[in-house]
Amino acid sequence: MSDHTDEAYAAALAGLDRMTVNRLNVLLARLSPPEAFAVAAGHARPVGLVAQLFDADGLAAAWRSSAAHRDPGKVWQQCLEHDIRVLIRGRAGYPAPLLDDPVPASVLFCRGDLQRIGGRRVGIVGTRNATGSGRDTATMLGRDLATAGVHVVSGLARGIDGCAHRGVLSVESGASPLGVVASGLDVVYPREHASLWQRVIDEGALISEAPPGTAPEAYRFPLRNRVLAAFSEVLVVVESRVSGGSLITVNEARERGVTVMAVPGALRNRAAEGTNFLIRDGCPVVIDVDDVLVALGLDSRRAGGVAYDPRPRPTDADLELLDLLNEPRTLDQLMLTTSRTLVECAMAMARLESTGWAQQVNGWFERASESATIR
Amino acid sequence: MLAAILSATLLGVEGHRVTVEVHVSNALPSFTIVGLPDEVCREARDRVRAAVMSSGYRWPSKKVTVNLAPSSERKVGAGLDLAIAIGVLVADEVIAAEAVSPYGFVGELGLDGSLRPVAGIAPMVNALGRVQPVVPVASRHEAEVISEQRVRVGRNLREVVEALAGEAPWPTPPAETVVEEPLPIVDLADVRGQPLARQALEVAAAGGHHLLFVGPPGSGKTMLAQRMPGLLPPLSPQVSLVATMVHSAAGVRLPAGALITRAPFRAPHHTSSIVALVGGGTASLRPGEISLAHGGVLFLDELGEFSPAVLDGLRQPLEEGVVRVARARSSATLPAQFLLVAATNPCPCGGGAPGSCECDDGARSRYLRRLSGPLLDRFDLRVPVHRPGVDELLLGAGGESSAAVAARVAEARLAAYARNGSLNAQIPAALLDAIAPLEPKAQKLLRAELEQDRLTGRGYHRVRRVARTLADLDDEVSDLVLEKHVAMALQFRVRLSPLLRGRAA
Repeated sequence: MSDHTDEAYAAALAGLDRMTVNRLNVLLARLSPPEAFAVAAGHARPVGLVAQLFDADGLAAAWRSSAAHRDPGKVWQQCLEHDIRVLIRGRAGYPAPLLDDPVPASVLFCRGDLQRIGGRRVGIVGTRNATGSGRDTATMLGRDLATAGVHVVSGLARGIDGCAHRGVLSVESGASPLGVVASGLDVVYPREHASLWQRVIDEGALISEAPPGTAPEAYRFPLRNRVLAAFSEVLVVVESRVSGGSLITVNEARERGVTVMAVPGALRNRAAEGTNFLIRDGCPVVIDVDDVLVALGLDSRRAGGVAYDPRPRPTDADLELLDLLNEPRTLDQLMLTTSRTLVECAMAMARLESTGWAQQVNGWFERASESATIR
Repeated sequence: MLAAILSATLLGVEGHRVTVEVHVSNALPSFTIVGLPDEVCREARDRVRAAVMSSGYRWPSKKVTVNLAPSSERKVGAGLDLAIAIGVLVADEVIAAEAVSPYGFVGELGLDGSLRPVAGIAPMVNALGRVQPVVPVASRHEAEVISEQRVRVGRNLREVVEALAGEAPWPTPPAETVVEEPLPIVDLADVRGQPLARQALEVAAAGGHHLLFVGPPGSGKTMLAQRMPGLLPPLSPQVSLVATMVHSAAGVRLPAGALITRAPFRAPHHTSSIVALVGGGTASLRPGEISLAHGGVLFLDELGEFSPAVLDGLRQPLEEGVVRVARARSSATLPAQFLLVAATNPCPCGGGAPGSCECDDGARSRYLRRLSGPLLDRFDLRVPVHRPGVDELLLGAGGESSAAVAARVAEARLAAYARNGSLNAQIPAALLDAIAPLEPKAQKLLRAELEQDRLTGRGYHRVRRVARTLADLDDEVSDLVLEKHVAMALQFRVRLSPLLRGRAA
């Protein structure tokens, strides 16, 4: 009776108006995708627990009309066009870490190759409003984890998320990145991450619960965070506000027994308030990649020694200024603190910036780590 | 009887000569004005009639026709009142026709016959040419600044008519001594701390570089900008005359001596309409704020809050130094050579140290998108301003006075004119190597910036122009632009936000 593959029906079903994770679970736990679609479209009579779903006000009508507009064949065509695979829970190809999740995703969409994500997985999340040092830390962790053969799971958002994956992609033949996004896999968000998005697909995999064409609506992000947390064995929060999306991911991770770790930040840094609170509440601290590797049980001792830094060593005079940049400072402040002239400070900062030791945004200078050169 | 009287009307900032022809004939009594008068001008009928009668003259009970020639050009405002009244009296043979020929008349009449000043006396008197202007008493200085002829004044219609008829001498109001207005009290010495921003003001004034202050509320952006005119040299006689004409045409109060000699400072509010800023309006094409800022400073506070259309309207004048305003019936070219100083917050919440911004991504990128693009490109100097800390407020040197900085600025401007024939901001890219050669170290520094994608090609030229100005301001005179000048110039190109990171300055 079915004209299309099960995947096509599942994809169409996931895109119905007012479809939720739970409703999709109820439908697909009891019915095959074609049957479930027929029930939702009003072509078949729902029975048992499925019938109870339709008690919700106006749901039957909403599903019927949106099912009329979502031809499974067309949805499938869309998936093929963008090279999107549809994974149904319990069938071949569905990722193992999500199988026994308390709130499982019944249907997942995937671009790239999920088979590449075979090893250990660490989630890196954080604020979109990151400071320069937060960005550096995320980049550095991403790079070092990929080098150590650990897959980095992240959300491809602005700020920390994007930096973590940039770090991963800066490593040649490192562990593949896994991106978990809230919008449809053909709807790049944020748009400035278009190339990052593509590189993650090329080198690793990108998954989403949303069918192609879905806009990044606000309510989808907490759901995305749940999938991200479910995929992580250890979750590292690099910088987070007191109330931030990353803390939703933290809660989801804790519910799933995932170890949450946090990178400490300066006390007056608002972007690190959330992570500092996490640490006060007993969250393990991440200073460098070894802390994460120890938590994964991959390493029992710290590597020790100082990594090779290719940047030319600043002169002693410049070092004096660089030491002041452990917290963000303006040129005026530097001038006042060191009692040098404005021109001397400007020249020192120009040297430090061009050699990669310092970076400037909105007139604030911050110390840059070596990973700041990764773009 | 026929009479022809000289007068003038205003279009944009230019006066146009108008011949007021009055014909009085024996027919049914009436009074008509033809020759494209606007609403105000048409109402002259009632004002003139009342003024003539209250001055003690008889209104001819005949058919009175007034033609404003050339009749195809639009006439605006009440400045023709006096000429029409004189014309009627000449045609009615109260005054002899020969008595009025050496004069041109500009002024509005009150119902009691009193003579009132109008906007645009300066350009209108200019248009009258080689006749003696007769103007209201209050407009005397304004007319004298422009006219090479003897300026005649009157307090009311009767005085003018009696002087013309030879019954009384021309009134000579006491030669009041012109009191120079005191210098504005805003001085750079009041600014505490902010060494970077001070230096930026000096560079902007010396090189004619447009300046954008970026900083949180309360960091002193407005305070700094207000000190800008004090750093600019007095206007050259030519610019001064043009500025006076513009102010006169716009009806903006002129200084006591009527001639604008100091750089004007205009700070329109961010709700200003495009017409208010650029100029235009229905018939008279009134000059806008950018023309009023001619020779001086246009300060746009909260740049991001201006409507995008208004900001786009600034681009052509910024490029060409004039603004061409055209309407269906008329068009005018208005002068608009100004130094643009603008201030903006880095984001809607005001920002601050990294990580302290409260705005969500959408709001921030919307805010920055308004600023980014072609307009942002016009600013040679994009300077971060920060709230000064307590230490800076208490310990920061009070700094130099405006006068001391202005002296350096004047010198640097002279040097620039002597070398390039223009201010440094206008050095063509092709001549940069000849006018602003770089020492090898400076070249290396710029090369590193370009290689790391922190500078675009256009940004590269802008940095070099600013560096040239910095070299001109330096105590040690050098033809080469040194590394320190380039390093300093780079500090004047703030990178706006992590969102725009990767996008070079």
